[in-house]
Amino acid sequence: MKDLIPEFEALRARFPPGFASSLVLPCLRRIQEERGYVADSDIDGLVAHIGVPRIQIEEVLSFYTQFRRRPIGRWHLQVCRNVSCSMRGAETLLEHLQRKLRIAPEETTPDGRCTLSAVECLGSCGTAPAMMVNDRYVENLTIAALDELLEELE
Amino acid sequence: MAGRQLLMTFPVTANSHTLAEYRARGGYTVLENTLHHHTPRDVTQAVADAGLQGRGGAAFPTGRKWSVVVPGDGQPHYLIANADEGEPGTFKDRWILEQAPHLLLEGMLLSAYAIEARNCFIYIRGEFDLPYRRVAAAVEEAYAAGWLGDGIGGTGFGCDIVVYRGAGAYVAGEASGLISSLEGKKSYPRNRPPRLTVRGLYQRPTVVNNVESLSNVTGIVAHGAAAFRAVGTEKSPGTRLFSVSGHVNRPGVYEVELGFPWRKFIDEDCGGVLGGKPLKAVVPGGISSKVMTAAEVETLRLSHEDLWSAGSTLGSGGMIVVAEGTCMVRLLQIMLRFYHHESCGQCTPCRDGTGWMHRILDRIVAGEGRPEDIERLYYIAKYNDGTTICGLGDAAGYAASGMLDKFRDEFEFWIAHKHSRCQGRIECPIS
Amino acid sequence: MPDILINGQTVQARTGQTVLEVALANGIFVPYFCWHPQLSSAGNCRMCLVEVEGRGLDIACNMPVSAGMQVLTDSAEVKAHRKAMLQFMTLNHPVDCGICDKAGECRLQDYHYTYNGEPSKSFEPKIHSNKYYNLSSRILLDNERCILCLRCTRFTHEVSKSMALGVERRGDASNIRAAEDRPLDEDPYSDNIVDLCPVGALQSRQFLYKARVWYLEPTPSVCPGCERGCTVQIWHRKPEWRLKALDPRQNASIARVTPLENPAVNGPWICNKGRDLARIFERRRAEQAMLKGIPVPLVDAVDAARALIGAAHRPAALLSNWGSNEELAAFKQYLGAVFAAFVKRDCEPEPGERVEDDLLIRPDKNPNTAGARALFGEPVAMLPEGTDLVLVWGEGCDFANLPRGAPIIFLNAYLRPENGYADVFMPLSVQTERHGHYTNFQGIVSEFQPCFPKPDSIADAETLFMALAAPAGVRR
Repeated sequence: MKDLIPEFEALRARFPPGFASSLVLPCLRRIQEERGYVADSDIDGLVAHIGVPRIQIEEVLSFYTQFRRRPIGRWHLQVCRNVSCSMRGAETLLEHLQRKLRIAPEETTPDGRCTLSAVECLGSCGTAPAMMVNDRYVENLTIAALDELLEELE
Repeated sequence: MAGRQLLMTFPVTANSHTLAEYRARGGYTVLENTLHHHTPRDVTQAVADAGLQGRGGAAFPTGRKWSVVVPGDGQPHYLIANADEGEPGTFKDRWILEQAPHLLLEGMLLSAYAIEARNCFIYIRGEFDLPYRRVAAAVEEAYAAGWLGDGIGGTGFGCDIVVYRGAGAYVAGEASGLISSLEGKKSYPRNRPPRLTVRGLYQRPTVVNNVESLSNVTGIVAHGAAAFRAVGTEKSPGTRLFSVSGHVNRPGVYEVELGFPWRKFIDEDCGGVLGGKPLKAVVPGGISSKVMTAAEVETLRLSHEDLWSAGSTLGSGGMIVVAEGTCMVRLLQIMLRFYHHESCGQCTPCRDGTGWMHRILDRIVAGEGRPEDIERLYYIAKYNDGTTICGLGDAAGYAASGMLDKFRDEFEFWIAHKHSRCQGRIECPIS
Repeated sequence: MPDILINGQTVQARTGQTVLEVALANGIFVPYFCWHPQLSSAGNCRMCLVEVEGRGLDIACNMPVSAGMQVLTDSAEVKAHRKAMLQFMTLNHPVDCGICDKAGECRLQDYHYTYNGEPSKSFEPKIHSNKYYNLSSRILLDNERCILCLRCTRFTHEVSKSMALGVERRGDASNIRAAEDRPLDEDPYSDNIVDLCPVGALQSRQFLYKARVWYLEPTPSVCPGCERGCTVQIWHRKPEWRLKALDPRQNASIARVTPLENPAVNGPWICNKGRDLARIFERRRAEQAMLKGIPVPLVDAVDAARALIGAAHRPAALLSNWGSNEELAAFKQYLGAVFAAFVKRDCEPEPGERVEDDLLIRPDKNPNTAGARALFGEPVAMLPEGTDLVLVWGEGCDFANLPRGAPIIFLNAYLRPENGYADVFMPLSVQTERHGHYTNFQGIVSEFQPCFPKPDSIADAETLFMALAAPAGVRR
């Protein structure tokens, strides 16, 4: 986290004075981008740097879906299971992934390659079924497209 | 085309979202002109006279929201563009963020000028990938070109925009939940009073507007309130973007002149129901709006007053088309699972009620439904209506009571027979 | 001054008040869980919903008054909504009443009987969560019972400022949690959250399973832990529930200590030291008068003391700043002319004890320095030269520092090794066995009442002072 401090300071400068607390979400996101998750030492470091109570950061980490405190697989497959995607086949795709990877949602393959999640609406209903692979949207999914995608993921 | 267009007025190309292309289309001239020749009051008046209604879900008159902020009260004001777009079925703000980010920025700058906000934020949902990159790039382009920062257009008006990314919470799309999140905390909505326009972000007067609402400001200021009112209906002036999805041949984002006939829009612009199947139902504006039957769709125009008088709402503009043969019980199960997952947990009726409703549906779908379950669902919906800190509880109730009002027989069937009347089908098989 | 109508009755309100405050101030009860006069308004329990003519229902705790508004607190709609809120709240709430310490003083129980009284409408199994979770070394948390009113969390953020508590996760998976660096253990006001909790989710470990609250009664007292002198309630068995079958100590023990609300001194809070008064008052007691460690009847000890006093030329007394105003006055009256009297500091801050803060805790860890100072002046470090008899009253005196060769008359309540070194030792009653007053550092005088009968072999200090003043050879 120490390496990120210059970035955090540049970010702080973009906010009006008195907005230190607002740094929590963007800093956690950057930390997670670097490490893959947020470690306990990162929380300590952020408390020291921003000056918010530790409990605030702990709450934020557990409240928001995207933050995690444990590492996951290299590829996070987040399949939307909401209404429009389900109406265009998401449930079938999710089942396909579960069978192919032999894991259930929220599990990681033993080789640490893929973590599967069933997520809520991604705002991609027009190109349903949709999923996120790490940070990127992958849309208009079919079984074939999914299989092709899995081939490409190391 | 579904009537006149106000926003989707340019061909979308690989570069049409850039500053250069936006300038070529006349972008930022309205801002420049306004800063030099008009007062903030002129802008607020135009927006109020135009009767612009919020495009996020509540259709609250934008001018009325702005009017609560007191000019020259000696404290900072904040403007926030709500780009959290999490209402299932909705992806129309995404279109603006990806294809017309400068339209949003110019609208924000005009609005910031109007309400005397030096600092603005775009709160964008954490999952959005390309929309985030596009809008962040647009902000950097605007800074580089002097449309953001100090002394914009050579005037004394300065404005800063920070793009703030969420981290995965539907409830952060609620204005006060958004503000809690922007303050670096969990996205807990707040009770009103005080209104956010009195005490919002860090207890300062704050206006939270939807992306599409702000994007309309430029045109209103450019062409005047009367020109805006000339489009749409008397009670629903202008146009709305609709994101269309579900069992439809041409899903996507469409701009519809308000008052346009609903069925015509689906059949002609959206290519009609997938596989030529008969239409069963349409969710008009995100799953928090009550579902309408095909028969109702037939009689209604897409306007706020039409939907309100029919007991529903245009909501977030997230239109989901449902073909005949779809199991509405399964659809409601998915909706309630969503609300249960997204409830922030603060207040009693929503926290306990959303979990309760979801589990009732799970039990019905598992073949263990009871005749009392339908009344239970209505009970839970009734006591989430108007009793909660924010609209999530009410919305979960509307989803349930809407489905039950229109498709009660499917629920009764499943409870009595322990299985769906249509194999629990939610996909639309195309033969 | 806006007038508003509640249930058709006109009541006066002040601008800035909420409807809930006005209703309560006028004796109109509106039920609530999450609201508390000393905490910010969370407005999450939704129990205080009232109906406003022309506006529908909304929570009263966040509703500003406006002139002429017409509020209904008992309409059919309000009643139906209260029932519904309780249905939601008891959806997953475990029916632990039979094993829950809160039974008998539980808001949820009380409101259920008053406002709902119907069985649950749910057919779903209750959601389970953590029970018997150690929120701190002093407090147990039961997440199943918790109704997430967030009073406890708000207390640690707004009052004690330890920032110790928060909520993990969301929706009906939300759980109260302590911050992971365990600041609740360091929060000297932590136990106030047990009082604040409207249900049995937060339990004091020291009170756990000790007694049903309906067997207990509170006696008003004053905490002697520091010069703030917070008023407290000391809970003990009601006289009619003192059972012969029980160990006599149980009949006469402190079950728990809670704050006695006092706007002038401590508001509705006390610190944990006040909770732990049993640690002070239930130390092993001295019950026997002694002469140089040899037990004698009290009258013999008094005689011996009188003889020492009669023989002394420069007697000095070290007085206790734990003495009540009445005891101190009695010393002055009976022995003030005989002894050169000086106040000592009975107690100093313990290692690790918080010395001072801007909430309640004061650096002087004695209850009545002010009362003692008023009669006898400032505490001293050393006795005058030539002192040839020392009367020591109370704790905190190291006999090694006393003038060599001077006999010692020692009056104390607790069993200590030095009791046996004193030439004359006489056991005393403790605060919980008598009535009296302390003066706090602000000059506010507070009263304490006796909770327990005094043991027969022990005298009050006032009685002893009077006895010691009589000339030698005259038996009382």
